[in-house]
This record gives sequence, structure tokens and C-alpha cells, in this order.
Amino acid sequence: MKTIGAEHIKDLCTGAAFLATGGGGDPYVSQLLAERILHQVGPAQLISPGDLRDDAFVVSIGMVGAPTVTLEQLPTVDEAIGALNRYEAVTGKHIDAVIPFEVGGGNSTIPPFVAAMKGIPCVDGDGMGRALPEAQMMTFPIYGAKPTPAVIMDAFGNWELLECADAMSFEKEIRAKAVAMGGMVTSAEHGMTGALVKRSAIPHTLSFATRLGALLRHHDGHIDAIEPELFALFEASDYGVIKRLFTGKVIDTTRKIVGGYDVGTATVQSFEDAGRRMELLIKNEYLVASINGRTVASVPDLICIVEQETARPLNAERMRYGQRIAVFGIGCTQHYRTAQALSVTEPRAFGFDLDYIPLEDINEDIDFP
Amino acid sequence: MRIGIDVGGTHTDAVLMNGMEILCAHKALTSSDVRQGIIEALDRVMTEGRVDVTAIEAVMIGTTHFTNAVIERKQLSPTAIIRACLPTGSGLPPLCDWPTDIASALGNHGHMIGGGYMFDGRQIAPIDETALDEAIADIIHSGVKSIAVSAAFSPADNAHELEIAARIRRRIPDANISMSHEIGRLGILERENAALLNASLGELATKVVSNMEAALAERGLRCPFYISQNDGTLMSAQFIARYPALTFSSGPTNSLRGAAVLSGMQDALVVDIGGTTLDVGVLANGFPRESNSHITVGGVRTNFRMPDILPIGLGGGSLIADEGASVGPQSVGHRLVEEALVFGGSTLTATDIAVANGSVSVGQPARVQTLDRAVVERATQRIHRMIDEAIDKMRPSEAPVPVILVGGGAILVSRELATASSVIVPEHAGVANAIGAAIAQVGGEVEQLVSFSKHSRDRVLADMTREAQAKAVAAGAEPKTLRVLDIEETSVSYMDDDAARIRVKVVGDLRHSP
Repeated sequence: MKTIGAEHIKDLCTGAAFLATGGGGDPYVSQLLAERILHQVGPAQLISPGDLRDDAFVVSIGMVGAPTVTLEQLPTVDEAIGALNRYEAVTGKHIDAVIPFEVGGGNSTIPPFVAAMKGIPCVDGDGMGRALPEAQMMTFPIYGAKPTPAVIMDAFGNWELLECADAMSFEKEIRAKAVAMGGMVTSAEHGMTGALVKRSAIPHTLSFATRLGALLRHHDGHIDAIEPELFALFEASDYGVIKRLFTGKVIDTTRKIVGGYDVGTATVQSFEDAGRRMELLIKNEYLVASINGRTVASVPDLICIVEQETARPLNAERMRYGQRIAVFGIGCTQHYRTAQALSVTEPRAFGFDLDYIPLEDINEDIDFP
Repeated sequence: MRIGIDVGGTHTDAVLMNGMEILCAHKALTSSDVRQGIIEALDRVMTEGRVDVTAIEAVMIGTTHFTNAVIERKQLSPTAIIRACLPTGSGLPPLCDWPTDIASALGNHGHMIGGGYMFDGRQIAPIDETALDEAIADIIHSGVKSIAVSAAFSPADNAHELEIAARIRRRIPDANISMSHEIGRLGILERENAALLNASLGELATKVVSNMEAALAERGLRCPFYISQNDGTLMSAQFIARYPALTFSSGPTNSLRGAAVLSGMQDALVVDIGGTTLDVGVLANGFPRESNSHITVGGVRTNFRMPDILPIGLGGGSLIADEGASVGPQSVGHRLVEEALVFGGSTLTATDIAVANGSVSVGQPARVQTLDRAVVERATQRIHRMIDEAIDKMRPSEAPVPVILVGGGAILVSRELATASSVIVPEHAGVANAIGAAIAQVGGEVEQLVSFSKHSRDRVLADMTREAQAKAVAAGAEPKTLRVLDIEETSVSYMDDDAARIRVKVVGDLRHSP
């Protein structure tokens, strides 16, 4: 893919929903907005991180806040471009390209349309390769990018310049500001050089999500029928490893909001053997999967769930008793396998008392159905 | 005594009821003339039930008229919309996600002005009166009389919508105005879409209501009449002219409510098997469980209250293939009576399997005696497994549930269903829709995004319940009979721990006119 236009957005959103590992909210509003704008201004150029000049200046952009708020307070055309322009005015730097925070969920659609509006390229990559709830979990700060200066803007054109010591403080600050500014803001942040993007960004995730979405959307049938194609797609990508971890029926779900997070569990029962059960631990996203007490996949590896009969990605908020699902474990890219990356994304970073073991290592001796 | 009439696409059903007792029932083909169809239905049940018009206290009518108008894009009035949201929302103007054919049927009259609210109750902006007057002038110029009004977070605070509607009415006294907070829920795009559809049906509704009134008057019925809504409650004739869109999907709802009455069950699954499809719905507390996802009506995304229905491709006319291993989704449909083996045709259908395995005797059973027993057994097992699976997907938990079987395809069920604690096949199941209409109650509903850190949970729920009760009484409920049907509480992520979206719903019996 050399460009990304209105015709790609539906596929991108479906792929993004799969990679969102249960989080990311309903991308309908972001999908409509991106389609409309790209339809009006034409497609954005998509640039591979490797093709960026080392001294190019790249800014990450997306929305931060409560997705529920955008159901009523719909976005404007101007917030994203306003935040970028304000960023340039405040820092005095010219932005050469934009890049998404996270490919998982609605935030994947914002950089493409704002790039098209500004007439600059959008980097084909992101800072997560999935969805994760907090800023310090992005690969950008993990590999040396500073989150600030950051410019956040609301629908009214109100803006604030944030300066924080580190990614953890940035996360706290931006969350509080988002609530104070009406529940949702657009943030231009993590300004970095092309060289730093090459080192820190997970490459080719936008084009990958679009291909993945096209596969799932045009198939719309039983997951078994496209599994070979799905596996081939992931195995040829930077994710590398993909395994069907479980197939079964959701028999129980629990959930509550703790500290702003949608926290819960889900139990899935195997079709073949009623005694064989998978338990999923959820904190906005699916974070840990275990079978009969034994962990079979955990964050930062991806746990992706689709409805068995349609192969449509299943959001954690929509999970309920009786759904027939297929659970996939997908290896995170190399970016998340270093000690510094794991320290902020391993299960303990989410409060689960267990070690991260890479998907390909824990599963060697488990016989999957 | 009450009369319930269900005007469907194919059949018009009528029942005469005394309390919960069914005195007589009648089924006929739907006529193209609404008035005539209702007169015939009234005549049949009143003659058969031998009742005098003065004994009839109320007539309840369920109709698919308005759904069909939207699906066929027929008889929709040109409709404008004014949305108060600016400066937010400019990226997604009204009608932006509509299919072009229906958007042009309404005329593409979208306006956005300053106004609306935020999640915490603050105004996005005061109403921009200059922009509002310009929008109204524009609407007057275009000659459009049907107007939808929406504002951000109007389900939490409707003041801006009320103010805009009042201003429109001052300039266009005969305007037909639909305010989004009266029609839909949180989610402004879907809610204003619902309001737009509602406004566009206003003229048609006035016509349909006067036809219904004429039919009743012609038979000397002076009792009030009501139309059933998609949530299983009623609205009066004056309401229907203002809220026709609330009848969408009232058919399946009435069928579920009717099944509840027929079986005497308040909590059960209802499996309605027709010729081509099987619909599973859930009765909770005597009312249908509602769907939480978006409902698309004629290609337009809305958030109406609709029953949660799972359809699967299995019915009396389903084709049997692969030596009985595969049943449906293809079906001979209404040609069952010509094409099935037992009716002299040459197609092996699910009905033939039911006859061959001895569960029912229809047509010419001899014609299926020679079928391979293994095929019959395999298909029988397959049919029961499909039904079990559909029930399992809809039941609230793993515990077996009572199952009420309705519809002509109920003959397919001859064995135990593993998911069912009991299976009830009630009498008169064929007219469940009309029964559901006849027994409907009156309801009121309130939805808000609230923060318990400002007010205690009890206080918030008490306030909201009072508001819902007031709505129900305004809609015609007897205050003494009101009960809280449902309180739905959904926590909101990435907000305070105490932020939640709450919906309170109350119902009560119809207040008898003095």
C-alpha cells in the first residue's frame, strides 16, 4: 500500500478491531469521520518507517479519553489538524509526517485523515501493534521518545501544552485533563526524529490491519474456513507466531469498573470436553488466557477473539453467555520482548501475579484442540 | 373486554379477550385497505364472540405499516433536521451515514447550530439563536413541515431541544416536530436518525390513525384505541401521530408478550418456528429482553428499543441435504404446501422429516414411508441440535430454561431439548401477536449518564424512577399499578469510578377512561 484512502477505512477498522484484543471501543464514529474526510481531500501517502529520512520530524496523534463521550459529543474536522498546527506553532518545528499511537481500535483512523488534510505522509506503523490502555506502554517512550511537549485540543479549540518528566506522569496528566476538558481530547505528542521512529515504531501495522480487515470482512463466514489464510498473513508479518488457543462457548462473565478500567473475567468451555475451560482476564483488553489453571498466553502477546460463525472480532464489552468463539494467541513483535518493554507491559504491570512467558515457549507441550 | 388486532405484512389476526381469557380468535389475509381490513377483523371476532360494541373497553392495534414505509421508501415526507452541537460534531453532520436513496427521499435538509450539552451537564454552548433563525428561515423557504430536533446529551438534559422546538413552532405553527430525546437513547447519530425517521412518518401516521378511527366509528366503537410499541407497551391514538417510529418491530414483541400470556410464564425463552426461519427471543419479567446493539431500519442506523431476537435458518420448509446431515437455510418457504413430499411435491423438507419420524401427521404420510430411516434419524437429530444451539445462545446462563414453542413449525420438535427445563406448546399460538397487542401495558423510560460522586446512587435511582413514572402516567398508565420493570446500569470506562449509564423503565396497566 502506497496510499490510504476512504475505500480502505472499513477494512482498516475491522483489522484494527481484531488487533484491539477486545478493547478500543466502537470504531463507528472514527470510521465515518475518516471516510468523510478522505473522500473530500483524497488519500494520504503512506510511508514505510524505513523510507523516512533520519532527520525527519514525526508526531504521534490520536484521541484520549472516554469513548462513550464521543457517542454524543461527535468529533469536529478541526481538532486533529488544530492540534498538529498548534504543536508546530508552539514548538517551532515543522512536522514531516504523523504516526498512530495504536493500531488497535478507532485511533488507527485519525493519522491517515489528518495527514491527508495537512498534505504530509502518514507513517505505516504505530506505537503498540495492538491496543493497550496507557501511554507508558507505547514503544515510542520505551525506546527513548519523550511524550512531551504535547498539545492537547478539545472540540472548542481550547488547547493546553503539556510538559511532563516521563511517560508515567504524562499518562496521569493527560487522563485528568481529558476529563476536565469534556471527556475527550485530541493529543499531538511524542515528537521524534525519523531515526527514532525506525528504532521504536512497530512497522507496517496500518497496511497489515487493512489486509487483515479485508480478509475478515469479505469472508464473513466460519473461522475455520479462513484460518489457513489468517495464519499465513500473521506468520509472514512481524508478529510471526499465531496459534488457535481455544474454541468454545462463553459460559460466564463478570465485570466492574475499577480505577476507570473495565475489569472482568470470562470463562469459555470447550466444545469437545466440558471439563476443559479457558479463563480470560480482562482489563479493557484481553490480557491473560489460561486453560484449566495453566497460563497459555499473556500480555504483551496478543489475545484476539472472534465469533466462530462469522470470524468477526469480539469486543470485550460485548462478550456474554452463549457466544461461540475462537481464541487466538499472537506473538507480540520483538519491540515488546526486551526487559525495558516488558517492565511496563508484562502481566505484573497490570497487577497480575505471573511472569510473562513468550507464547511460543509456553505452548510447546500443550495439546490444542 | 378488549380486542387485539395485529396487522402484519401477510396476515391480519384478531382476538377478543376478557381479562386474560381468550374468547375467540381469527386469522385472515391482510387487505391493502387498512380501514376495510380492520372492519373485517372487528366483525369476525365480534360476531363469533357475540358481544355488543358497548362491552368493548379498548381496541389495541399492532401494525407493520411504518416499518414497511421506511423499507420501501414510500409515503415518507420531506424532513429537515436541526442539531444543536456546535462547535462539536461538525465532522459528522446529520444524515451523513444514510443510504443516498432514503436521504434524498427526505430531501437532505440538515442544519447544525451552536448548543447541546457535555457529559457533566455543562452546556457545549448556549443555543445560537441567529443560526437557529436562519435554519428555520431556510426550512420555511423549502416548504418542509416535518422537522427533527436533536442536541448533544439531550437524554440527560432536554432543555435545548425543547427550546428549539418551541421556537420552530412559533414560526411554523403547523410543523410536525420530533425531538430526539423522546425517541432514542444515548448515541446522537442513531438517536437523531430515529427522530428523522419518526418525523418523516408523521403525515402517514395521521392518515393511518384517521383510517383506524374511521373503521372503529363505522362499527360504532366509541372506546379508546391504542397502538402497540416495540417495547411491548401501548401508546394512545394521539401519541401515534407523534411517534409512529416507536411501532418498529412491535410484531416480534407482541408475539413474545402473547406467548407469555398463553403459557402463563414470565421468564422463558420463546421459540417461534415459521416456514423458513426460527426466531428465539427472551422473556424476562413478562417483557422481551432488549437488544443492546444498533438496529438498522431500511439501511438507517438507529438505537430504538427493540427485542433481542436471534434468527436462524430453520423452518418447516427447510431443505434437507447431505443425507440428512444438513438442514436449511434454504427453504421452499410458502411453497411448502406444493413442494414438500407429504403434499405431493418432490422436495425433501423438514416437515417431511417430522412426518416420517412419526411426530406429526399432515398431508399424505404414506409418501414418506419409503425414506431411508438413517436419513430421517440424522435429520431429526440435526434439527433438534440446531434448536438446542439457538436456545443456548440466547439463554442468560447455563441453567436449563422453560421454552415456549409457537408458530407453524413447532411440529418439528418431537424430542427432548437438552437446553429446556420444560417445553410448552400453548393453544392459540398462531395469534400470539394479536394477544400480545390486546394485553399490552403502558410504560415510561428514562436514561442518563450519571456520576454517583455528586449524588448518592439511591437518590439518583429514586429521581429517575419518579421521572419514568411521570412519563408512564402521561402516556395513560394507572398510577396505582406502576411497577419498576427494569433498571439497567452500565459503568463507563476511562471516567470516574462512579460514572454510569442508567436506564429505568416502569410499566403499569392502562387507565380506564371515566
